[in-house]
Amino acid sequence: MIAAIGLVLGIVAGIFLEPTVPTWLQPYLPIAVVAALDAVFGGLRALLDGIFDDRVFVVSFVANVLVAALIVYLGDQLGVGTQLSTGVVVVLGIRIFSNAAAIRRQLFRA
Amino acid sequence: MTGQRTAWTRLRSAMRPHASRGNLLPGLLCALLGFAVVVQVRSTQDAGLDGLRQSDLVRILDDVTERSDRLRTEARDLEETRARVTNGSTGSRAALDEAQARARVLGILAGTLPATGPGIELTISDPDGKVGPEVLLDTLQELRDAGAEAVEISSLAGPAVRVVAATSFEAPTDSGGGDGAGRVVVDGTELTSPYRFLVIGDSRTLAAALDIPGGVLDVLRQDDAQGVVTQRDRVTITSLRAAPSPRYARPADD
Repeated sequence: MIAAIGLVLGIVAGIFLEPTVPTWLQPYLPIAVVAALDAVFGGLRALLDGIFDDRVFVVSFVANVLVAALIVYLGDQLGVGTQLSTGVVVVLGIRIFSNAAAIRRQLFRA
Repeated sequence: MTGQRTAWTRLRSAMRPHASRGNLLPGLLCALLGFAVVVQVRSTQDAGLDGLRQSDLVRILDDVTERSDRLRTEARDLEETRARVTNGSTGSRAALDEAQARARVLGILAGTLPATGPGIELTISDPDGKVGPEVLLDTLQELRDAGAEAVEISSLAGPAVRVVAATSFEAPTDSGGGDGAGRVVVDGTELTSPYRFLVIGDSRTLAAALDIPGGVLDVLRQDDAQGVVTQRDRVTITSLRAAPSPRYARPADD
């Protein structure tokens, strides 16, 4: 409940505050968002499995974001930033899909 | 079945409002996520070149450079074509001007154009009617030898004939004037004495050519006729002749 309310609050804040992304953050923000989405879906799946633990969720969320940002940073330094970003997005996308499939199975048995 | 029910039950219990220190932090993180999503979406929507990474910018720069090179080559080709076309048109214009100038010169020689310039006026009065076509022909030949460029023969108060290469002098054949004295047929036009030559050329040379011993003026004097030469700065010949179109002859290729 708190999480859903927080999500809505964040969206509303983003809409009304209209912040601009600082330049140093621009390459990392999209990847970080995808990584966080992955963590959220994982958390939702764990919740439905009855094994949700907020400590694990927080750690996995922060770790996901940091690792994703680190990979992008490393890719930029190595000159393969674009390709590595694509790879990270693909991997995270696959994980999001598998988590979504597990959630679907839990909720609808299908 | 029980699994499904427990899943819904867990979801429902999770949605039940109960605040604890434990799920405050996940809520905060979710708020951060929503905020970041919105920010990223917005910045993507109005992203220009400043949102791109260095490698993308380099690629775009390469594309633009290549494209501008291609366009520059094309522009150079087009400029060359334009220069060629312009030169061609000025060349054809020069040729046209030259052709027109040549047509004017030939028109003066063929008698199809009026002519003006320095020259002489020769008046031949022939009270006794002794001046025949042969005398006038000799006069014309003398004038041509002296460099006459355009010649007109007329009665003093009558018709005028433009003299060209094919001009003929004949004695009148009809009985209009009795014995034909004092009349000459030039190119089919009958002229009566006194006659007048208008000649364009170097006036002093022309006058001298007529005045030499045994020349035209001498012959006229022997025939009891009188020739008067007047040098003029400006003689204008306005009588024209239709250009003959050859029936058989065609220009031959060089």
